[in-house]
Amino acid sequence: MIKEKAEVVIVGGGIVGCSIAYNLAIRGVDVVLFERSYLASGATGRCGGGIRQQWSTEENIRLAMESVKIFEGLEEELDYHIEYYQGGYLVLAHTEDEVKQFKKNVSLQRKLGLNVRFLEADEINDIVPHLDVEAIGAIGATWCPTDGHANPFKTTIAYARAAEKHGAHIYKFTEVKGIKVEKGEIKEVITDKGKTKTKIVVNAAGAYSREIAKMVGVELPNKPYRHEILATEPLKHVLDPMVISFHDNVYFRQTEHGEVVGGWGDPNEPSSYNIESSFHFIVQMSRLLSRYVPKFRHVNIVRQWAGLYDVTPDARPILGPVEEVEGFIQANGFSGHGFMVAPMVAKLIAELIVEGKTSLPIESLNLKRFREGRVIKEASVVG
Amino acid sequence: MDSRIWQHPIIDFGERKGREIYFNFNGKPIKAYEGETIAAALYASGVRVFGRSIRFQRPRGWFCAIGKCSSCLMKVDGIPNVRTCITLVKDGMNVEYQDPRPNLPEKTEFECEHVKVETDIAVIGGGPAGLSAILSLNELGVDSLIIDENPWLGGQLIKQTHKFFGSKASYAGIRGIKIAEILLGELRKENVKSLENSSVIACYREGKGFKITAVKGHSTLYEIDAKGLLVATGAMENMLAFPNNDLPGVCGAGGVQTLMNVYGVKPGENALMVGAGNVGLIVAYQLAQAGVNVKMIVEAAPKIGGYLVHAAKVRRMGIPILTRHSIKAAIGKDHVEGAVITKLDENWNPIEGTEFEVEVDLICLAVGLTPSTEILMQIGCEHAYVPELGGHVAIHDKFLKTTLDNVYLAGDVSGIEEASTAMMEGKIAAATAAIDMGVNVEKAENLRKKSLHELELLRSSPFSKRVITGKEKVYSLMEEISCG
Ligand SMILES: Cc1cc2nc3c(=O)[nH]c(=O)nc-3n(C[C@H](O)[C@H](O)[C@H](O)COP(=O)(O)OP(=O)(O)OC[C@H]3O[C@@H](n4cnc5c(N)ncnc54)[C@H](O)[C@@H]3O)c2cc1C
Ligand SMILES: Cc1cc2nc3c(=O)[nH]c(=O)nc-3n(C[C@H](O)[C@H](O)[C@H](O)COP(=O)(O)OP(=O)(O)OC[C@H]3O[C@@H](n4cnc5c(N)ncnc54)[C@H](O)[C@@H]3O)c2cc1C
Ligand code: FES
Repeated sequence: MIKEKAEVVIVGGGIVGCSIAYNLAIRGVDVVLFERSYLASGATGRCGGGIRQQWSTEENIRLAMESVKIFEGLEEELDYHIEYYQGGYLVLAHTEDEVKQFKKNVSLQRKLGLNVRFLEADEINDIVPHLDVEAIGAIGATWCPTDGHANPFKTTIAYARAAEKHGAHIYKFTEVKGIKVEKGEIKEVITDKGKTKTKIVVNAAGAYSREIAKMVGVELPNKPYRHEILATEPLKHVLDPMVISFHDNVYFRQTEHGEVVGGWGDPNEPSSYNIESSFHFIVQMSRLLSRYVPKFRHVNIVRQWAGLYDVTPDARPILGPVEEVEGFIQANGFSGHGFMVAPMVAKLIAELIVEGKTSLPIESLNLKRFREGRVIKEASVVG
Repeated sequence: MDSRIWQHPIIDFGERKGREIYFNFNGKPIKAYEGETIAAALYASGVRVFGRSIRFQRPRGWFCAIGKCSSCLMKVDGIPNVRTCITLVKDGMNVEYQDPRPNLPEKTEFECEHVKVETDIAVIGGGPAGLSAILSLNELGVDSLIIDENPWLGGQLIKQTHKFFGSKASYAGIRGIKIAEILLGELRKENVKSLENSSVIACYREGKGFKITAVKGHSTLYEIDAKGLLVATGAMENMLAFPNNDLPGVCGAGGVQTLMNVYGVKPGENALMVGAGNVGLIVAYQLAQAGVNVKMIVEAAPKIGGYLVHAAKVRRMGIPILTRHSIKAAIGKDHVEGAVITKLDENWNPIEGTEFEVEVDLICLAVGLTPSTEILMQIGCEHAYVPELGGHVAIHDKFLKTTLDNVYLAGDVSGIEEASTAMMEGKIAAATAAIDMGVNVEKAENLRKKSLHELELLRSSPFSKRVITGKEKVYSLMEEISCG
């Protein structure tokens, strides 16, 4: 049977929910997490695992930089191998407009202390030798060597195990069906396996967060979008960084095991909860990959799958409390880049719950911003 | 060394083998015959180690011989990770050991043919189930196509040199290879559309129908649009857990049968058979027929699982069958050199002190099969774990409909059974597909009724009890689902 009472209930066992559970548990909070399927079954287990600090808005850059600091010590902190690898991120520019924007990004990023620089076209092959720079029409790139990637399954499991070690209760295959609210205050969380009394609920249900919010009468602007991705057979290590192009909406990297994992965002994808794989994707993606790296032409694809981006109107997450319901904390709307910022976001959410204040300001990421029209769109996304 | 079989009591390999050709293995020329797979030709010339494992660099040989286990991967003409057991050898081909984690292929030129095909029903798998399904579909006038990843259609039939049991309608008394010939003869006569040597690698739902992709020989991509799917992908042989079970020379019994009866290569000199079900008994007998010294058959259960006729044949050849015995470990460095056998107590635990060693270069595992249900899982059919049917199977009803509209299944993929029942299921699934499509409904209903009756007769022996229990489980799950 599930626990009768908890100080905090987290909905969702992805990277965000599990890392928050850990951060609360080490602060001595009595926390329960519900996941309706297995851990990392949502976007997390389906994601590219990329960790990038090269963003265009200050919050995102700071969040990502702080996360990287945590990632650097995470294997030790959680005592688990998460395949963290700082192979860098190569962000390709294909147009003069992109070059202009990227140079602007680089100067903001450098101002915030990031080790990043702009590369001319002829410098790109020094970083990724097999890339066909001419064929893909890249005229420049930005390069940050401390970006990287990790295994999203292992990172989630690492957080969950450590959270449990510190007293968190994690219930898998347990679906949240409703949340009881009285006079604007949370009373209990109702699941298909029983009820848990609590005053605080963290909504970390990824693309399903808006459904959770509906349970308490809160409207979130988030929309789900399918994103497809594939993995090749394992190869000897040939690729250090994650390579990404916003122009072609494509990214790829090589895992520790040796597979090349990469995705392409279809600009015509309608919003839906569909996560079936398509033939269209595999054709587009293989064409792109073999154009980017001609030597990929004879490499076999062994798997393809899809997951949901949880997209907000400004492509930035929604963090913190809401006005209508006390104790209803948002940690969602990551718009396709929630894995990389989760370690820091989790710390901030735990600080907010335990101390009532955060070590980095998250005010500007509150749900309010959409109502007040304070929206600055993040430009550096694979949409 | 050449371990090809030329004299065989049942098969004329001399007639079967094609032109003599040469290919390069790690730079050295090796003789082969057209129609052999790379792995068969290598095995015939004494090669036992085909590759190394990724993590511990352990030697890898072949296990299944039908493209299902990927332990035979090699670099062929510059392309890594080729399944050499289902790739036909060609004159002048370059075959090499590959690094377990291969290098990026150097080759960048790529000629790929992209062929689009449309059909009403795509039959995946050309064993007895798939073949009788496509023949029935054809007879009922349903436009259909059959796809198989092995070089030849026929599935397991093409290696079964023994006479079949069962009823007359299911070719009792005829050898499996003859049944394959009969079915394939009809197929050719009727001009049925078929794609051999083409692996179905993915399946998508598109609109109301399906899109499947199949690849042939690394160079042709078939994009097949179908209104319905009939999946008859058969089964994969089980592994058994014991130290060194991954040594080259530990093979599936069916894999050994393929090497021996399809490609005419003697699989070893001294063999141990693990499992005394029908498969173990039959393959042990056929090994002896091919001149292999079968030292013994060990069986963990207290009694022989297979038919007594088969056991008697084996005993007459002087092969001992040890019940309540099992393999404890394989011995060898780069390939099997022996095995440790142990006696088991009533709880199937090894009895200490009863171990003894046998000197063998081949260990055949005949310890059951698992349905090859990947395609049905991928497309989204609901599954259940049913031990009586061999593992996870797509939930279905007695008409062989799955939980998805227009997706049918037949044969071992629906539960491990026999070729005779697989053929009946093929007919039933085909008739159901025709009925659902509204084509030749009356004729299809008659065929279905007749075949259901035949199937019932085939399952009337006490040996079918287990399967019937399993089938009833899935039928009732199906009912639960369709009643919401
Ligand atoms: C193809 C793809 C590639 C991506 N690549 C990257 C990348 O390279 N780098 C990066 O940082 N990000 C990437 N992302 C985004 C990243 O995956 C997400 O932002 C991140 O995983 C979000 O984590 P989460 O824990 O919020 O959500 P999820 O992992 O979706 O977790 C939410 C969980 O809530 C559960 N849930 C939902 N409803 C209920 C309920 N009622 N009761 C109980 N549980 C419920 C779900 O089952 C799910 O497990 C990618 C996403 C996709 C789809
Ligand atoms: C040694 C032995 C003796 C036996 N003796 C008898 C007997 O006496 N009587 C009897 O009735 N039965 C016997 N059987 C059982 C019988 O062989 C099987 O039950 C029967 O072959 C199952 O038929 P099937 O069509 O379902 O599968 P299979 O014959 O296994 O055929 C499946 C086919 O699907 C193809 N395939 C699979 N996946 C794909 C893919 N992704 N793309 C393309 N093609 C694919 C495979 O290449 C294969 O050709 C015996 C079996 C063995 C091993
Ligand atoms: S795939 Fe070739 S031996 Fe199994």
